[in-house]
Amino acid sequence: MEVYLPIAGMSINIVLLAGLGAMVGFLSGLFGVGGGFIMTPLMMMAGIPPAVAAASDSNQIVAGAASGAFAHWRLRNVDFKMGTVLLLGGLVGGTIGVQIVKVLRELGNIEFVMKALYVLMLSTIGGLMFMESLATIRGRGIRKSASPAKPRKASIWSRLPLQMHFRQSNLQTSAIFPFTIAMFVGALAALLGVGGGFIMVPAMIYIIGMPTIVAVGTDLFQIVVTTANVTFQQAVMNHTVDLLLAMILLLGSTVGAQFGARVGRRLRGEQIRILLAIIVLVFAVKFIFDLLLQPANLITLAGGQGGH
Amino acid sequence: MQIARAIPPRFHVFACVMFLFLLVPAITRAQVSEVVTVTTKRTVDIGLMYNGDYIYFFGNIPDASADVIVRLTSTGDAPMTVTRKGKVAFFWMNVKQFTVTGLPLLYKIHSTRPIRQILDPALAKELGIGYDVLKEQMKLELVRGESQPDDRDIVFDGVLKLKQDAILYNIDEQRIEVTGGAIFKHYFRFPSAAKEGTYRAESYVIQNGKLVGKGVDEIVIRKSGIEAAFTRMAGEQPVLYGFVAVVVALGMGLLVGFIFKKGGGH
Repeated sequence: MEVYLPIAGMSINIVLLAGLGAMVGFLSGLFGVGGGFIMTPLMMMAGIPPAVAAASDSNQIVAGAASGAFAHWRLRNVDFKMGTVLLLGGLVGGTIGVQIVKVLRELGNIEFVMKALYVLMLSTIGGLMFMESLATIRGRGIRKSASPAKPRKASIWSRLPLQMHFRQSNLQTSAIFPFTIAMFVGALAALLGVGGGFIMVPAMIYIIGMPTIVAVGTDLFQIVVTTANVTFQQAVMNHTVDLLLAMILLLGSTVGAQFGARVGRRLRGEQIRILLAIIVLVFAVKFIFDLLLQPANLITLAGGQGGH
Repeated sequence: MQIARAIPPRFHVFACVMFLFLLVPAITRAQVSEVVTVTTKRTVDIGLMYNGDYIYFFGNIPDASADVIVRLTSTGDAPMTVTRKGKVAFFWMNVKQFTVTGLPLLYKIHSTRPIRQILDPALAKELGIGYDVLKEQMKLELVRGESQPDDRDIVFDGVLKLKQDAILYNIDEQRIEVTGGAIFKHYFRFPSAAKEGTYRAESYVIQNGKLVGKGVDEIVIRKSGIEAAFTRMAGEQPVLYGFVAVVVALGMGLLVGFIFKKGGGH
């Protein structure tokens, strides 16, 4: 059964689209990632013009993340105080990031820069996370739980102003620290057109020192706000949001996110991390191949046949 | 006869030559007759379940031995931004950018027999039939990067492949059927990638390498219902549209959360 997407300017199988949304939503609820870094490339492979794919993906992420955040909130995994600090940093960073994107687009090779950044980041994060969680599972190696790490972190950051106690995460640290990280992640997220969870969650776990499941829930909360902002701006400035496309995707992703949150509750932190690490590494490899192999067609229609 | 003998012989010749000069164009002009065509649809409405459409064309042939070539194109300008990839160090990336004009969004040719057997390149060019004619119409403007001698070839071949994959460009030399030596029929497929606008189908009847008949049909593609409403809101009221997009997403997310709360139970 086909459906015609008005802004994308093409028809697509409705079951395929909803299924894609469900799969990505599941991962969103499980790992606390928005899913954007998988969803946008998958949509482009299905033939949707890149600009419309990215903007409609942001729209879809709002729903999946809201669904997952809600589930985690009821499971008491959301640290709202930390989340607010993070999202403020994310909004600032995202705005800066959009400006950088504009400059890069004028220079003309935004796609290459994006893929190269993806490869660098995904392989670093994926690799480190894989090794760490593997070591934890095997019982040897550094245990990155909050208690032994906290005294070290507290001494470095306790001299900074804006000390806050984050009850849910069981942390006492300066608010400047998560704000700065979130700003950096936000800029990167705008550059890559994603929610940023796949950087943010490891950063929250390893650098800030939050427990895994609280990092996941809090990140989802932060994503809802930042992607709602991106969606709105894309609709107003670029007219690239295809609401019908987003609606079909989010029908799948909201349901998928609920199942993902439940499965996440049953797994231990290090199990979630190793699964996420494997997925991240798979995508790093995929992008490396994209950059190194000769494409089938040297010519591409930039801006696409559909969308604006 | 009396009068004829009275007119000097030189004038005779002059009159005969003049007569021939007038007659020849009269004969050839009169021979491009009007081809009557009928289509199964004149407007295509893009609704929710739209997946492209098929339109059948029927027309009359003045002579059983004639051939028919039909050319379907989009009207209006369709400029494209095209990028070309090249290898830099180990990596493939966009190294050039062009603005391409002169190529239509959709271009289809149907005929009764291989085109080369029906008409010569000069008439093909005049009627605008064939990919090589399109290539000549293509205008390339280099926006970024260095110009190379094979740019035109690579760009045209690349664009042609993209268009053929989207079923927007097609040449089918056996598509048109002739029934009873008097009526020709065929159908055009409009892919879902064919955007809103007016499309023109020109039916040419060719005999002995000359154009003897011509007919024109126009097909309009437009959006209807929800599709039209979304497109209009996105374009004309983007702030409302953006707001609706976010609210719908939030609402769906929270609604599903509530539903699952009742189902799951802790």
